[in-house]
Amino acid sequence: MSASGKKMVKVLAAGVVALFVYGFVVGAIGSAIFGGGEKGGFLPKPEVHLPPQPVLAQDAEEAEHGGLPAKFVLTNTILSSWITTLVLITVFFFATRNKDASKAPRGLQNLVEAVIVIIYDFIESVAGKDLTRRLFPLIATIFLFVVSNAWMGLLPIYPSLGFKNEHGEIVRHLLRPAGTDLNMPMALALVSFVFVEYWGLRTLGWSYFGKFFRFGALLRARGPGGLFQGFIDIFVGLLELLSEFVRIVSFTFRLFGNMTAGEILLLVTAFLIPFVFSLPFYGLELLVGFIQALIFAGLTLVFVTIAVMPHEGHEAEEHG
Amino acid sequence: MDKLGFHWPSLVVYLVNFSILLGVLYAVGYKPILRMLDQRSQRIRESLEQAERIQKESAERQAAMQIQLQEARREGQALIEQARQAAEQYREDEREKARAQASAFVERARADIQRERDNAIEEVRSQFADLAITAAERVIRRSLDRDAHKELIDQVLEESSQFRRES
Repeated sequence: MSASGKKMVKVLAAGVVALFVYGFVVGAIGSAIFGGGEKGGFLPKPEVHLPPQPVLAQDAEEAEHGGLPAKFVLTNTILSSWITTLVLITVFFFATRNKDASKAPRGLQNLVEAVIVIIYDFIESVAGKDLTRRLFPLIATIFLFVVSNAWMGLLPIYPSLGFKNEHGEIVRHLLRPAGTDLNMPMALALVSFVFVEYWGLRTLGWSYFGKFFRFGALLRARGPGGLFQGFIDIFVGLLELLSEFVRIVSFTFRLFGNMTAGEILLLVTAFLIPFVFSLPFYGLELLVGFIQALIFAGLTLVFVTIAVMPHEGHEAEEHG
Repeated sequence: MDKLGFHWPSLVVYLVNFSILLGVLYAVGYKPILRMLDQRSQRIRESLEQAERIQKESAERQAAMQIQLQEARREGQALIEQARQAAEQYREDEREKARAQASAFVERARADIQRERDNAIEEVRSQFADLAITAAERVIRRSLDRDAHKELIDQVLEESSQFRRES
């Protein structure tokens, strides 16, 4: 590194340290120690809203008394999910302009193709060659949608755009990561659930339900021991059935919880010590967004793979 | 649930949104990209196969050429051998012919000589007869002289032997 480069690094490091010190003084912790600002701090206290807020003023007024009305309301999470959707579609649109397979892919096309290949290989490694083609679109879309929602929510425009009240504080944000809206993970969880059950049914036919209603052992039971075994089997089947529905809940709250926690974490760190301090947490949130997308898509994939596998009860009935 | 923000119209909106995204991404993204990837891997596989085929073909061709070359060499060798044999044969023939000619010539010469000699002998013989007759005439004409006879005969014989020595 040249001398001027070293100097530049020094200046930058000094700037970062200065910014950190300034942030510490101005932030909530500094205000508490040094007693700054007449309101007890220079920064407005972060407000955490679990339900999304409406974008339009009239909806917001309605929502003031007793939550969102039972009709379509354009909330900030829905708006940002639309933006994510548009961004994804635009990226894919421009990545597939070059239809000539003989040319080596470049730039955006190369990137998107690399991502597609990585997801494709991942699915193939779990589900095997035969299913990959048909599972791919949904799994890939879940992954891309979740990860883009999470990552785009880290853009600075998300917390900074909004509608202010008379004190100049933002009361309604224009955009909020869609993952922090319970309805988005729930929608994905429902899609995943339907997808899994559909593939199970389609591949195994009605015998798919044999996994949940296991009367086979009871009907074949000999003596009290066999009877006991039969009841146990039925109970296990019902547990399986229950777990199938519990997945919807776990899917929903895993993603919702992680996204909301990340949002709150960033909000709080930026409130406590603005500027430099929250940077590592942004890095963390990048990781969390990726991991949650991977988990959502990966679990759906695993559940489908399990659902299409012929289960023991089914086999026993066939062979026995 | 309301406190957490559950709102079924939003849920429906997200479901619709996700379905649209899935559909559009499938049509705009996955399908063309996967097709292109397939095509590309197909192309790569094909060109690899082609390269392999060409390599094999060239090896085969080289082997064939080698064989052809060897054959040509062998043929050339054979041709040379043949030519040499032909030349040998020709020389042999010529020599044979020359020998035959020479011997024929000698034979003829010998025959000629023989004939000449025979002729000469014949001639001598006839002359000898004439000589004998002449001698007899002379004997008869002189007659009755024993000594004369003897002298005469001796003279003839002398003459004839002289003649024979000459011939």
